[in-house]
Order: sequence, then C-alpha cells, then structure tokens
Amino acid sequence: MSAFLSNKVFSNISKFSREVKPLVSLRGITKKFPGVVALDNVSLDIYPGEILALLGENGAGKSTLVKILYGLYTPDKGEVIVYGEKTKILSPRHAVSKGIVLVPQTPHLIDSLSVLENLIIGLREYGVFARVDLIEDRVREIALSIGIELDPRKPVATLSYTQKQLVSIIRALLLKARVLLVDEATTLLPSREKEKFYTLFRRFTEGGGSVVLITHKVVEALRVADRIAVLKSGRLVGVIDRDRARVEDVRKLMFGKTVTNNLQVRLKRTEHIDGGKRVLEVMGLWVSRWFGDYVVRGVSLSVRRGEVVGIAGIAGNGQEELVQAIVGLVKPVRGSIRLLGVDVTGKGVELTRKLGLGYIPDIPMRYGVSIDNTIEENIAALLVRGKIIKWRRVNEFTSKLIREYDVKAPHPRVPVKVLSGGNLMKVLVSRELAIARSLLVAHNPTRALDEVSARLVRRMIREKAVGEGVGVLLVSEDLDEVLELSDRILVINSGRIVGVFDANRVERERIEELMVA
Amino acid sequence: MIEELIGIVPVFATYYLVALGHGFFEKSGVLNLAIDGLFVLGATIAFALAAYTLNPWIGVIGSSIVCSLFGVFIAYVATKLPVSHGALGLSLMFLGYGLSLVVGIPVSNYVYAKALNPSTYTVPATDTVLVVLLASSILIGVVLHYVLDRTKLGAMIKASGEDPHVAEALGVDVVRTRVIAGVIGYALIGLGSAYFTLVWRSGWDPKIYLLGHGWIAFAISLAAGRQPILTMLTASLFAGLVRHQYVVQVALGLSTEIAKMLPFIVALASMTLFYVTPFKRKMASPKSLGKPYYREERTV
Ligand SMILES: Nc1ncnc2c1ncn2[C@@H]1O[C@H](COP(=O)(O)OP(=O)(O)O)[C@@H](O)[C@H]1O
Ligand SMILES: [Mg+2]
Repeated sequence: MSAFLSNKVFSNISKFSREVKPLVSLRGITKKFPGVVALDNVSLDIYPGEILALLGENGAGKSTLVKILYGLYTPDKGEVIVYGEKTKILSPRHAVSKGIVLVPQTPHLIDSLSVLENLIIGLREYGVFARVDLIEDRVREIALSIGIELDPRKPVATLSYTQKQLVSIIRALLLKARVLLVDEATTLLPSREKEKFYTLFRRFTEGGGSVVLITHKVVEALRVADRIAVLKSGRLVGVIDRDRARVEDVRKLMFGKTVTNNLQVRLKRTEHIDGGKRVLEVMGLWVSRWFGDYVVRGVSLSVRRGEVVGIAGIAGNGQEELVQAIVGLVKPVRGSIRLLGVDVTGKGVELTRKLGLGYIPDIPMRYGVSIDNTIEENIAALLVRGKIIKWRRVNEFTSKLIREYDVKAPHPRVPVKVLSGGNLMKVLVSRELAIARSLLVAHNPTRALDEVSARLVRRMIREKAVGEGVGVLLVSEDLDEVLELSDRILVINSGRIVGVFDANRVERERIEELMVA
Repeated sequence: MIEELIGIVPVFATYYLVALGHGFFEKSGVLNLAIDGLFVLGATIAFALAAYTLNPWIGVIGSSIVCSLFGVFIAYVATKLPVSHGALGLSLMFLGYGLSLVVGIPVSNYVYAKALNPSTYTVPATDTVLVVLLASSILIGVVLHYVLDRTKLGAMIKASGEDPHVAEALGVDVVRTRVIAGVIGYALIGLGSAYFTLVWRSGWDPKIYLLGHGWIAFAISLAAGRQPILTMLTASLFAGLVRHQYVVQVALGLSTEIAKMLPFIVALASMTLFYVTPFKRKMASPKSLGKPYYREERTV
C-alpha cells in the first residue's frame, strides 16, 4: 500500500481516535494461501462503542481477517494488539478469553447437540465434569433479555436458521464478548429479522463493546455502521466515517470504477413469450413438511419458454418446499408437475435433471456442492452424462467458467471448501446455468454475492432465458431482484399464490402488501 | 440356569468394558481400528504381570495403564497429524499382535517351567467376585452414560466427533478432548482385556491373536450406536452367543465356521434394524469419525 493511501486511510478516523484507545488493532497483517494473498499488509483499528462495517467483494479477504482475530488462522506477518498489548491469538479459546467472539454466516454449532451443550463447551469457568444444565438459567435469562423464546435443551438441529444465529449471539453474550465479529451472519436472514440483529448490535456497542460487521451490502452498511472499512483483493483500500461516506464512493472502492458502471445496464427481455410453449406446468400442488402440516397449499403455475417467472414472498411461506417438489427432492401429497409435458410428479431428481432442469438451491453448502471435492469434480458430477469422464474437456470447461464468472480460485483442482462463500456460489451457479436446457429453478441465487457478482449472475440468468429460450422459475426474498428479473410475478403467502402480476405493470407496494397480509 | 447365567459374567464383563471404552473413544471422532491388536496386547500384558507378580490385580492395572498410553498416542497422532486413522489403527493392530507374542511366549514358558497353577495368578471365579465384576461393569457403563449425556466433557467429546472445526471454533481443545477420551477409553479396553486372560480364560494361549474378540467388541459397540446403556444389551446378547456357541450351533445345525461368523451377522442385522427405526439419529456414527483434521483448512 502506498504511503499516500495509508495516510488517507488513517486521517479519516475522526471521532474515535482522539478520544479513546482502540480495543483491537491490526498492524501490517499478511496472510497467504496457496495461490492467493488473502490479506496484504492490512492495518486497522477497532474502537469501543462502534459498529465498524467491513466491506469488500467476494473473496476480498473479509472472512480471513476476522478469522485471524478469532484465532482460526495465524497471520504470516504482522501483529495483533488487544487492549494495548501485543497478542498472538492462538485459538478461538484464546480469542474468547480476550473477549473476541465470532458469529459466522454458516452457524458454528453442532446440530446433534443441544443448545446448552453447544454453549457450555466454550465456557472456561466450568470444569470438564460440570453438568450441562448448570448454565440453563443463565442462557434462558440472556435469551429473554434479547427477546427470544427458545428451549435450550433442544438439539440445535430443531432450530431455524434465524434461531441458530441468535444462539450464536447468546453465546457471545454468555462469553462476555467485548468485540463481536459478525461475518455475514445477517446476510441470509429475512429483512425483518435482520433489523432485530442490528438493534441488538447497537445495544451491544452502547454497552462499550464493538462490532465488526462484515457485509457486501453497501446501503445497509451505510445505514447501520459508524465507520466503513473497505477491502479489495486483500488490501485495505479505505476507511471512511459514515457521515462522509457516499454509496457511490464506497462502491468504487469495492469494485473499481469500470465495473460499477455495469450496474446500470438494463436487462434484455424475451419478446413474444405468450406464443411460447409451456416448459413447466404445476397443477394444484400440495406439499407437507415431514409428517407435518401442509406448507404448499394448492399452488398452480406455469413457466413458458424464455419466460422468467418470479415468486416473491417472505421466507418460510412454502417456497422451499415448492421448489423441492418441482426439482424432485420431495414428493408432493397431491397435484401434478409436468416438465416439457412429461409427468415428473414425485419421480425424483434424476428424471428432472435428464429433462434439462438446472437448480440453484437456497443453501448451496447443504444441497448444491460436495465441499471436499474439487471445483472440477463438482462440475463433472452433473455435467457428464456418460459413464466415462473426459477430464480434459471438463478441465477446459471449468477453466472457462472460472474466467467468465471471475471465480477467485487458483485453479480448477482446488476443493470447493477453500473458496470464499460467494465464489462457491458462483461455481454452483455457473454449473447449473450450463446444465439448464429447459428450466432453471433459482432459489435466492444471489443472496451470498456481492453487487457486481449478483449483477453478473442476474444477467446470465436473463441471457439464458432470452438467448436459449430456457424458462426460469426465480424464487427470491429480494423483491428488487424479482422485480428486475421477472416477466411475470407471483406472490406467495402461507403456501398459497395470492397474486399474479405482469412485471411491466406492477406497483411494488401492492406486492409488499400481499407478502405480509 | 443360574449357573449358565453366572458363567456368562466374565464374557459379558470383558466384552462390555472393551466395547464401552471403544465407543467412548470413537465418539470423539477417532476411528479405532487398533482395537483388536491392543485388546490382545492388553490381555497378554495382564497375564504377564499377573504371572510374574502372582497378583492378578497388578495385571489388571498394568494392562489398563499400557493401553491408555496407546490411547493417548492414537488420539494425539490422529488429530495432530494429517494421517489416515485407518492406516494408523491397522498398523497398531499388527504391532499389538506382534508385541503380544514377544511378551507372551517367554512368560508362558516361564509359567510352564515353574509349573504355575493358573489359580495362583488369575482371579478366582467365586460368586462374590462375579457379582462384583458384573456390578462394577454396569456401574462403569452408567457413569459413562452420565458423562456423555450430561456433562461438559461429554459435550466436548461429541462435538469433537461431529465436527472438529466447529468444536474448535466453539472453544473446544480438540486434541486435549480426544486425548482424554483416548485415556479413558483405552483404560477400559485394558481393563476388559485383562478380564479376558485373568477371569474368562484363566490363562494365555499364543493363538490369542486369531480369536478376534476385539472385533466382536467393536461390533457390539457399533450395533449399539456407541451408547453405553444400549451396549449393555448388545454385550449381553453377544456374550450369550459366544459362551453358548455350541448350543446355538447345534440347535441351528450350523457349521463351526458359520457359527464363528454369527456375532458379526447379528451385528450387521442389529445395525440395519436400528437404522430403520426412529433410533437412527441417536445411533448415527459421529459425522467426522475417521476424518483427518487440518486446522486451517476450511473457509466459507
Ligand atoms: N483456508 C483457505 N485455504 C485456501 N484459500 C483460502 C482459505 N481461506 C480463504 N482462502 C482464499 O482467500 C481469499 C479470501 O477469502 P475470504 O477471506 O473468505 O473472502 P471474503 O472476503 O469473501 O470473506 C479467497 O480467494 C479464498 O479463496
Ligand atoms: Mg467471507
């Protein structure tokens, strides 16, 4: 980093530096992985009482930075100063003992253990033979204080994603955290829940703690953070006070100028959809949760060639089950699904895949990829239909995808688990787009992506529809995304389709009303 | 009838303790393929120490200590180094077989030369002894169940077995936890194997390494999903089967070879049975069992 740049960086810290000492400082931190420099000479201060947003595109090094602070990674160079003392953070245990706690995007919780068990194993004040339920009262108390209801004796597996994230917050409070590292922990949450978390973070900082909030949503960061730090390709390229930060400037820091211009390009639309053949027809579909109530209640819809049908709705209104039934992952109780005219109702994934269905799942880590295998193998797994894999061709194809989608990976043969979350998503999206010949089912396809990558993916989806006449069923919690991509919009609420709109003539407010009604 | 049942006790105690120790250790995520070799070694060491000192309890304690040292070694190496748990376990298994011959043959010659009567160095199988044996084994099982189900240590062990990365992130010292599980687990394996030579068989035989009792204990633990209380059931069942192998064999008209396979067939059958019942989730193996653990590996 040039002297000029770093001067600019530090001169921007105004209201915090003069009055108070930082809780934690990074000095010249460098971390390399095979083939990438994840962090390059990064220096940053974290002050008490602030929410510091850490922004950067996918693969910029944000997670690496907080993992170093949490003792999951050791830096190659540089030092960490905690409460004025030079400290080598050796392990999460060590970090926790210094009051530094990480809340990650994919919950660091063991599903088969109870909430209490997950929590007690990090508490040093209890000996190994301490009874797990000794902490029950404290846990209930903290849960109550942040306004959530949950039975901490239950296994974590029974909790929703939001509840799991809240358990991580309870954990931080239980551990008496002073520095809370929030690594995209709010990204996957429905927006109403997100607000709750932001309120909690604010309360936390009012008590003198500090929050490092990792996100790639610029607007959100500007709204909730006191300061914004931007990483690009492992370098800290700016630290700005919220009062002085403008969305455009931050975007430019994150992506560079040329790329941001692309954000304005309008998406093409297919003409004459009405004449097109129906690729997907769903009739009166009922799906129940495992031994439970109906969650999809009589849904009928169709998707034509070249058409993008968007399903708008608040998470948990049956979208997941609807998508899984269409893809062939769950058997519907009643109703029928036809793909290219073939009845695929309850006949499994193999058939729908054979008929050219591409599927971008909501949580790629769970359904979409095999994380121990390489990028190449993950692509070959679905792309190759014969028994013999022509690795040379797969390799060429993979390299092309990596280039086109700007996946930050040293080469096609790295296991996908070493990719950053956004890059992993890109691998998956590129594979599914390559597979989709008749229908693409995309469930929150851009949620984990930075704006530029999200834009890229949306454009690819649109081009797939326009250029190749593939039908697209887009299920997304992001109403902007639905509005931008769709030709037709359906609103889902409590498992029912409660509204159908032409995307050219629709009022956003009307859809929002129906979503929450 | 009562006598028949009492006759099963040494067999049960051996199997139950070995299976308990094995399951406890594996809960922490270390695949324990060394079990049969170290069972044989433990049994041999117990015999050797008992014969030299003419005190079976020294044999029992010695075997527990030696085995728990191996437990420490396995836990440490399998977690700290990126080695295959399978390769490590099988190597140690053969090492166990080899060492037991190296140790056992001279001692067995010594016993022969001195014309030592087994009663001078083994545990007398009086009713009191057997009752104590049975009660203490069951008590150990209950204690292990309590530890796994109710305590912080149990949660640490289960967490290390499910996902060492997440466990570490939650504040668990995975190496230390697995070493503790290894010490306790292998101490019990040592104890059980000592009962084999000093109570059940009352003596040592160079063919001991061909008998596969360690593997039967492995199957017993697996069939019970490594749950201490359920293991009591499977251990009784297998103890009965093995003890009365001939009766079963004759009753079912099986050949000796098939009869020897019987415990394993039953293990497979009971595993399959459990997995189709709602017990499935409770019975599942630790998710990271046998996976090498590289600390800085995962991202996302
Ligand atoms: N454990 C690891 N092994 C190899 N590469 C890694 C590892 N962790 C991160 N990386 C690489 O370092 C870069 C930064 O990743 P990360 O910090 O996860 O980015 P993000 O800003 O999206 O959180 C990426 O190119 C990623 O692939
Ligand atoms: Mg990240």
